[in-house]
Amino acid sequence: MNDYLLVAAGVLAGPVIGGLVSGADRIITARVQARVGPPLFQPFYDVAKLLGKEAVVVNVWQAFCAYAYLAASVLAVVLFFLQSDLLLIFFTQAVGALFLVGGALTSTSPFSQIGAHRELLQILTYEPLLVFVIIGIYLETHSFKIVDIFRWPEPLLLKLPFLFVVLGYALTIKLRKSPFDLSTCHHAHQELVKGLLTDYSGPFLALVEIAHWFDVVFLLCLCALFWATNWVGMAILLVVTYLLEIVIDNVTARMTWRWMLGYVWAMGLTLSLVNLIWLYAAR
Amino acid sequence: MVNELTTILVLLPFVSAVLIYLIRVGAIRSLIVLVTGSALIVCSLLLIPYAPFTWSPHTLLGVPLHGVVQVADFALLLIILYFGYKHRNLVIQLLSVLQIITMVYLEFFVVKGPISTDIFYCDNLSLIMVLVASIVGSLICFQAIPYMKNHEHHLHLEKSKQPQFFFVMILFLGAMNGVVLANDMTFFYFFFELTTLCSFLLIGHDATEIATKNAVRALWMNSLGGAAFAIAIVFIYYDLGHLDMQQVIRTGPVAGLYVLPVALLVFSAFTKSAQFPFQSWLLGAMVAPTPVSALLHSSTMVKVGVYFVLRLAPAIQLSFLSQTLAVFGAFSFLAAAALAIGQSNGKKVLAYSTISNLGLIFACAGINTPEAITAGILLIMFHAVVKALLFLCVGTIEQNIDSRDIEDMRGVYAKMPVTALITVMGVIMMIMPPFGVLLSKWMAIEAAARNIYAIIMIGLGGALTVMYWARWAGTLMSDPFAGRFKAETQPVLTWFVLLGLCVGGGVMSVAIPWLYVLLVVPALGGAYVPPFTVREGILESSFGSFPVVPLCIVAAIGFLVSIWAVRRAAKARIVSPYLSGAQTSEVGTFRGPMNQPVKAWARNYYLNSIFGEERLTTWVNLGAGVLLTLMMGGVL
Amino acid sequence: MFKSFIKKSRIKSPWLLHFDCGSCNGCDIEVLACLTPVYDIERFGIINVGNPMHADIMLVTGTVNHRNKKVLANLYEQMPHPKVVVAIGACGLSGGVFRDAYNVVGGVDKVIPVDVYVSGCPAKPEAIIDGVVMALGKFEDKVKALRTGT
Repeated sequence: MNDYLLVAAGVLAGPVIGGLVSGADRIITARVQARVGPPLFQPFYDVAKLLGKEAVVVNVWQAFCAYAYLAASVLAVVLFFLQSDLLLIFFTQAVGALFLVGGALTSTSPFSQIGAHRELLQILTYEPLLVFVIIGIYLETHSFKIVDIFRWPEPLLLKLPFLFVVLGYALTIKLRKSPFDLSTCHHAHQELVKGLLTDYSGPFLALVEIAHWFDVVFLLCLCALFWATNWVGMAILLVVTYLLEIVIDNVTARMTWRWMLGYVWAMGLTLSLVNLIWLYAAR
Repeated sequence: MVNELTTILVLLPFVSAVLIYLIRVGAIRSLIVLVTGSALIVCSLLLIPYAPFTWSPHTLLGVPLHGVVQVADFALLLIILYFGYKHRNLVIQLLSVLQIITMVYLEFFVVKGPISTDIFYCDNLSLIMVLVASIVGSLICFQAIPYMKNHEHHLHLEKSKQPQFFFVMILFLGAMNGVVLANDMTFFYFFFELTTLCSFLLIGHDATEIATKNAVRALWMNSLGGAAFAIAIVFIYYDLGHLDMQQVIRTGPVAGLYVLPVALLVFSAFTKSAQFPFQSWLLGAMVAPTPVSALLHSSTMVKVGVYFVLRLAPAIQLSFLSQTLAVFGAFSFLAAAALAIGQSNGKKVLAYSTISNLGLIFACAGINTPEAITAGILLIMFHAVVKALLFLCVGTIEQNIDSRDIEDMRGVYAKMPVTALITVMGVIMMIMPPFGVLLSKWMAIEAAARNIYAIIMIGLGGALTVMYWARWAGTLMSDPFAGRFKAETQPVLTWFVLLGLCVGGGVMSVAIPWLYVLLVVPALGGAYVPPFTVREGILESSFGSFPVVPLCIVAAIGFLVSIWAVRRAAKARIVSPYLSGAQTSEVGTFRGPMNQPVKAWARNYYLNSIFGEERLTTWVNLGAGVLLTLMMGGVL
Repeated sequence: MFKSFIKKSRIKSPWLLHFDCGSCNGCDIEVLACLTPVYDIERFGIINVGNPMHADIMLVTGTVNHRNKKVLANLYEQMPHPKVVVAIGACGLSGGVFRDAYNVVGGVDKVIPVDVYVSGCPAKPEAIIDGVVMALGKFEDKVKALRTGT
């Protein structure tokens, strides 16, 4: 019975929390830019409107990929709520990301194609970093299972500070914030029209957006693990991290994939190596 | 019963091969292939309840078996010497002479009395290899029947070379079964060298200049491994007084004269499995017809190296050799994945992926914990099935579009929807949960977590892997207006094999909990405590868990929902991809200057400036050379 | 109940596609002025997406000429239903002062159906916003028309 409640919580958390965080993101970004910004529930209006649009496709397999992306993202969050194996959850959300790219690659428009390749490069950039963060958590708590990580007596942030910074890089890329918003971005920041998402439209775009909310929830849960001993501490950590992401988004410009790959791997590997060696030596 | 099964598994292919060579009627040849393959599949399945067992036949048709193998061994080495002479390759000549001298020295001057208690030994690890070789190998041979017919038609050959081809292919299946069942190291050595010869003959099958050159390269690199093996077994006999593999393994881990030959054995496994810096023979072997690439160079022959090292793993636990092996394997995994990114030749991508996965299995053997060994064994099984499927799909596509370049496969879904979908399914089985290859990778990462060098390289390699596979799968489906679906026609055998491997891979993935309990746990033997408990289809260890069956159920539901979505989308309004509004009524073109239609095209990122083969290979070989020297030197 | 939420959302989340069909850029500058923090139309949920497949409202400026009429038609076709078109400026209405030029088609409604006309040369940002709001009211009729098949 408990498990079913957790599953339901996971399935509901995505749209509710993800959507609200998305809305808050837009308001805060607008205020930082001396604008007023949309209402808090704007993302829900956007998704509902998209669901009510005519279904238009470039390639029928886009529909498959949109549903698969949503399914994988939902599954990742549900598994997290069920406190399953962290590495498995990482691989599950990777499935979704790959289907999103696959759907974009099915369209022959150069905007989609280049957007899809940039997205692949983004995935290439952040995946090892997430693996190192998870390994770091394992080296400290001796388990990959979230149920054990929650029982760890002290906040992980104390022993894994550099790995939290590394997680921050992965977070910036996955949240599609500048300077890593190469493949597609929040509304109206165009370069390749909408890049990866150019040829998704209507209900399928709505599914992709909802899946992105689930991704946001997954990433926030991952950050939350770093201060899992205290709800107040967790909330402070999440709020500060997300505000920092918004600030970074607004003070940086979009960079090229070469710079992203080089810089993030260099910094990410160095910081991970240092933190992992500390953990290794402390064992 | 078990003796008969073993005899059939090892000897029937030899007999069938001779028949194929002598009877030059196409229909009869196909029949022999089908019957032999089916017999091998059935016998390998029947063998399951008997493992573990040993068997020491003393005679073969009345002739002493040891004598037969000795004579055959020297004959084999002389054949290799002859080829070295024929192709004027000094290295092959020197290596085969060295091996002949070493074996003469061993057999006539060193060995006194019986050299092993058991000739054939089959534990679950051997059983898994027998199943892989017999089932996947036979299926590949089945698909080779229509493939070679088409292949020779393309080449406009007046005189068919299929008798020679199938002779070697079927003979190879026997050699494969012999290698994994052999416990007497001279027997192992004989079958080991026989697979080398088969590989040489098959790579050079088309007899073009490049095929011959690559075949010769394969021969000398594998002979290097053979020579290392021969020297190693002389040392082992000096040290321990016998050549019984199981007893050799049980003696370890000890220092002294023992470790050097084990290191040499590991070295010979590296050459067989085309690890860096010996990878060029496998890359070159891709010029061979695709069934050869599928059979030898992904599913079976290259697996002999990793099988051998997994078998030796209990003997090298906690040693310097084991630790450097882990680092070397992880390096291979990373380097091959990086090199695959820079490739647009489909078969070369598959070859680098094979080297990458073999490197991961070596790393698992080096990490040498129960989780790691389990991961290695599972990876052998699943990689063999999925990689064979992918090679056969690429072969089928290649025969249809006359190119093996990924860019030419762009939108092949329009011409060959079913094959394209099966290929995409194969790619999904390679990189996504809940399928077996990813499960093994997950297990390997969890096992490697305590080895900092290995985990960094495995983490990076895993991300690189995902990139080149996803890129390929998307390219295949990159077709405008895919609403229509008209299945293409292929020979019945091709469909049977492709669908069989695809469905088989899926079924095996669902059945992992049971495969683990029935096949893998006994294979771990006494040296390792089984790391996982199985509860309601969930694999659980003390620090990780993988709910196989629940995930498979969810994946199946997700898959069905997505298929329903596709069918609904087929009725939706189909529009042209976004081309800034300048699209014309013809698909994929836009109105350009002077109102002329211009074809919109895009090409995948191959990132040659970073991951290009020419650029990267030198550095990778250098790194591999350093690690190899570190490994071998450390044991001295 | 969900349907009424979707109905409300269409009004609360209109995404624009702005296309210049040969305009002198006067009206375009005014349109872009609407997006700046001075008028900040994002507070109404309006976003300027450059992609017809994501858009609900198409703002067209310019006279439309024989070269870009096909592009205009393509973009309109790629937009999913329900969609509304707002023609901006005197040129968009009827061709403006360029009506008699040889390359000019003379007004957006000669190529695609227009729902709202915003006059002016250039049209003021306030007028443009008024026009967009009026267009939002037309979504209901569009949806009904789709259902009845007219």
